[in-house]
Amino acid sequence: MTQNLNVSELLSSKLWLRRTLSALSALLLLSGLALVGYPLASNLWQGRLQDRLGKQLASPQLQQAYRDRKIGTGDSLTRIKIPDIGVDVVVVEGTTPSALRAGAGHYANTSLPCDVGNVAIAGHRTTFGKPFANLDRLKPGATIELDTPVGGCVYQVSKDPLVVSPNDLSVLDASGDRTLTLTTCHPKGSAAQRLVIKATWSKDLKSA
Amino acid sequence: MTNVRSTGRLCALALSAMVVAGLFASTPASADNAEAFAGSAAARALNLNALGIKVTAGSTDALATSSPEAHAKGAGLALIADSASKADATAAGQNPSTPQACALHIPISGILDVAAACSQSAASTLDANPLAASTATVAAIDVGLVNLVLQLLQPILDALTPVLDQVIGTVTGTLQPLLGGLLDPLLGSLNLDLNSPVSSLVDALKNVTNLATVHVGDTASTVTTDAGKVSAVATAKGGEVDVLPGLAVTGAPLLSIVLGSARATSTFDRSTGQSSSAFDPSLLTLQVLGINVPIGLGAPVTLFAGTVLESTISIGAGRTIQNPDGTVGAVADGVSLQLLKGLNGGIVLELAHAESAVGGAKALITTQSVNPPAEVQAVELARTGAEAPWLEMGLMLILAAFVSRRLGRRWMLKR
Repeated sequence: MTQNLNVSELLSSKLWLRRTLSALSALLLLSGLALVGYPLASNLWQGRLQDRLGKQLASPQLQQAYRDRKIGTGDSLTRIKIPDIGVDVVVVEGTTPSALRAGAGHYANTSLPCDVGNVAIAGHRTTFGKPFANLDRLKPGATIELDTPVGGCVYQVSKDPLVVSPNDLSVLDASGDRTLTLTTCHPKGSAAQRLVIKATWSKDLKSA
Repeated sequence: MTNVRSTGRLCALALSAMVVAGLFASTPASADNAEAFAGSAAARALNLNALGIKVTAGSTDALATSSPEAHAKGAGLALIADSASKADATAAGQNPSTPQACALHIPISGILDVAAACSQSAASTLDANPLAASTATVAAIDVGLVNLVLQLLQPILDALTPVLDQVIGTVTGTLQPLLGGLLDPLLGSLNLDLNSPVSSLVDALKNVTNLATVHVGDTASTVTTDAGKVSAVATAKGGEVDVLPGLAVTGAPLLSIVLGSARATSTFDRSTGQSSSAFDPSLLTLQVLGINVPIGLGAPVTLFAGTVLESTISIGAGRTIQNPDGTVGAVADGVSLQLLKGLNGGIVLELAHAESAVGGAKALITTQSVNPPAEVQAVELARTGAEAPWLEMGLMLILAAFVSRRLGRRWMLKR
């Protein structure tokens, strides 16, 4: 009898098992709903955060901090606009997981936006507003605008998107020219590789 | 570099190395270079990062450089400000330190001492030898009562000691030829006289400070400098129970049980300019009168590699790291779980995690220019994918919930 016990019989004989199953059902349902809702929730979170960061970017305090080169991790640094793929978000300083909840973050050890050297920015491709979701669609010649608290500039995409390994830090190497590097995870929904966009300075914009 | 990039868990070490490398990068590459060095150590008793929500308990950090600067900070629980301590020496000749900061401390003289979420930090740049040290503990319970117990037992011991000494002395004298290899270290540790073992044991008991101590989440990070070397040492323990501490001549307890311990050591030799590192992790360590019995040491195990469910489990594991710029580091883990790495960073649980790093360049008096080592910036490009197929996984869980619910309903109908 015991050997042929099916699931229903097992449940009939074990009240505690049925209760456990009910609790498990509820837990699985809640977990499932949480997972399904996570991207939406993260986008909402990022949207609210962007509102706050936008105000911070326009504040005199941040302008002074920018001039002093004292922008803290997670604080607004610049606004990035990529018209071809509809990107218009505030980039924060730093690329820690916490900072990147804003959607995009500036690699702390690279040049500041519009300065001489290589400016590198990472952005989410899925969740948290997914600002770089369509980065792979950028073609050479596309423009990327950076608006900092003290001015702005425009870069032009110089080559087709590159796909590199996550450990290929050479894309962050300093350069003698004014260049911009954008990175995001690749393929979409995976962190196996990184998609890299390289752009070169095109022109400065009028100071704020 | 291959080692460094292997896991995200090494980010903190890379940051330590970055501090070290940053020091060199900021040092002018002049013809006559002064000595430059830096050492850092960091320890965490518990580090939990669940999908971006972080909880850290028992954390200590120490950094000392040839500037000279020394910085130390610690926290019993990162969320409780009262448990934090910090000491910074930013110029030569400073020697700041903080008293022990505890979120909770209940001392009952001679009987019980309970402390929770404590830390203490000190930094010094005296005598051109920068030093930084920080200790932290999540919880500590010291059970006293030793003197009281001894007083209560004294009349009985006085009566029985001569008889017991004779009997036990005879037994151990008989056994010693057979078990000398085992008994001698233990007897030596207790400084027992075989002619009067009970008397000498009672004497040894008078050195005991507590009946037992239970410490959870002890960590210590120190960077010390002397004329010969710079040493960065980080230690972390998940939990430690000491029975009769101070019983042995060396001050060791009768029995010490340490669960989840990790120690990482990095050393810079000032005379040769060479750096070295070592690690010492274990899941469980037993000490009897100070004699070590390490148990459980293993290499990391990775499951579901290359998928969003990739998980790495390390128990009593560690590694050393040699960076291209000459800086070295060590990482040791008592227990480390990195689960579901593909899920927005996944879940990271580190019990007893220690890491240290040093680097330096000895003083040069040649006229040849020295290029500063390249700066270690990061271990990998930022993860920005939120890699999980949220929708698919969520729908699978909802389906599983439906199936399990159906099973329950079938049972109800059957009844």
